[in-house]
Amino acid sequence: MRGSSELTTGPIPVGQFVNLIRSTIRNDSLFQNQVIKGEITQWKSYPSGHTYFTLRDSDGQISAVIWQGRCTIDSSISEGSVVVVIANLDLYAKSGRIQLIVNRIEPINKLGVLEEQRKQLIELLRSEGVLDRPRKALPSIPKHIAIITGVGSAALADMNRLAENRWPGIRRTVIGVTVQGNLAPNEIVRGILAAGKLANFDIARRLNQPPVDVIIVGRGGGSPEDLWAFNLEPVARAIIASAVPVISAVGHESDMLVADLVADLRASTPSNAIERLVPEFDQHQMMILNFELRITDATTRMFVDWRNNLRLLQSKLLNAPLQGVYNANQQITDLSNRLTTAVINKFGQSKQKLASLGNLMMLAAQQSIAVEKTKLAVFASALNSAHPNNVLQRGYSMISDEKGQIISRTDDLDEGQNIILALADGTAKATVEEIRKESGNDE
Amino acid sequence: MSKEMSYGIAIKRLEEIVADLERGGIALDETLKLYEEGAKLLEFCQQELASAEGRLNEMRLSEIEEKLSE
Repeated sequence: MRGSSELTTGPIPVGQFVNLIRSTIRNDSLFQNQVIKGEITQWKSYPSGHTYFTLRDSDGQISAVIWQGRCTIDSSISEGSVVVVIANLDLYAKSGRIQLIVNRIEPINKLGVLEEQRKQLIELLRSEGVLDRPRKALPSIPKHIAIITGVGSAALADMNRLAENRWPGIRRTVIGVTVQGNLAPNEIVRGILAAGKLANFDIARRLNQPPVDVIIVGRGGGSPEDLWAFNLEPVARAIIASAVPVISAVGHESDMLVADLVADLRASTPSNAIERLVPEFDQHQMMILNFELRITDATTRMFVDWRNNLRLLQSKLLNAPLQGVYNANQQITDLSNRLTTAVINKFGQSKQKLASLGNLMMLAAQQSIAVEKTKLAVFASALNSAHPNNVLQRGYSMISDEKGQIISRTDDLDEGQNIILALADGTAKATVEEIRKESGNDE
Repeated sequence: MSKEMSYGIAIKRLEEIVADLERGGIALDETLKLYEEGAKLLEFCQQELASAEGRLNEMRLSEIEEKLSE
């Protein structure tokens, strides 16, 4: 009888084949004492003291076992931990199962892995030019702020209190999301999308509210793992894609996250976001009132100057020739009318709060114009009463020679001379017959 | 008032108007024009201040999403 090992031409029994593989694996240094990194799933310790689990990453997985007492297991290691193992590959012939026999297991600082991913994401964003893109400017006065954060959080309470202090009643919509844990990244992204819709003019009109013009996304301080959602690519992409400016307000002063790097403004804390976004109402109200006062003062002063100029003009007129006075009087009347009309037209349009300002202006202008008008009326009436025609109306007549030279003394007359008599309603031609001088009037 | 007028621009222009008026020596027509412009800008700024006031809405993400999908 020949031994089974000598059977080389027939089929190999499967057990023999599996053992062949097993010995190959066990004798290949590639599969022995190998250092392998992965995440733990299906972690299970049995009463026997053995621990079974699967080591996996995104590309593959393999079963592993830690025999009882073979090595110490760090208490932090559990389901989901990322670990490094030193293990031998073995094949359990009875089940044909390949597994790692772990000689040593060490947790990898989870943050170390995350940190690596963060660095890679930042590099990716940098290579895309996203980090250098121009940032959107914040509104000088936000009309509608969307705040994406945890409802009932201390950070939200701080933001609300500070906002009310600075600008009482400033319009805000808080979108409550989960800010840590597995749900956080997705909810934060959806929160940013929802805020983006509230920024849409048509949607805002439908909801009968002003469109959102700025978004604050953030949370208060916590452990690096707690803040980690703000280091993830989907959140960063949502911030980058936002049509309205986004302020990133995560954690404390020292926390710098990917969201901070891509946002239009990085606030060091949630409170800092409010301080930098919400202006102080009182300060702005004061500034506007101050403008109002200074414009009124300056304009009033100019009206006073013009009034003084009119007075000067009037005093000059007193010495002007008769016809000139009438012309100038007409001009001043025109000017006054135009000034009044202009003031009424322009300042009459002022409304509400500015109405008082307009009234003040109009009053100032009208008063000065009225004073001038009255003075001019008195002046014109004095001039009128002195006019020769008014004297003739009272029964006097005026004599002139044929050249129109006015004759007021007998010395200017000759007997037989032709003279013109001016009466109230016309003239008469006459001839001088006799000249009699009043003796008292001559020497 | 143009649609692109912003509060920041209005404040800048008001500063110029105040400076011009306070310097003085401007013709009547020009003064009236500046005053008129200033009055409109002040009204615009007051409206801007008033329009920032509104309600505080606090909603869960799901509520907002529901409202937006209506």
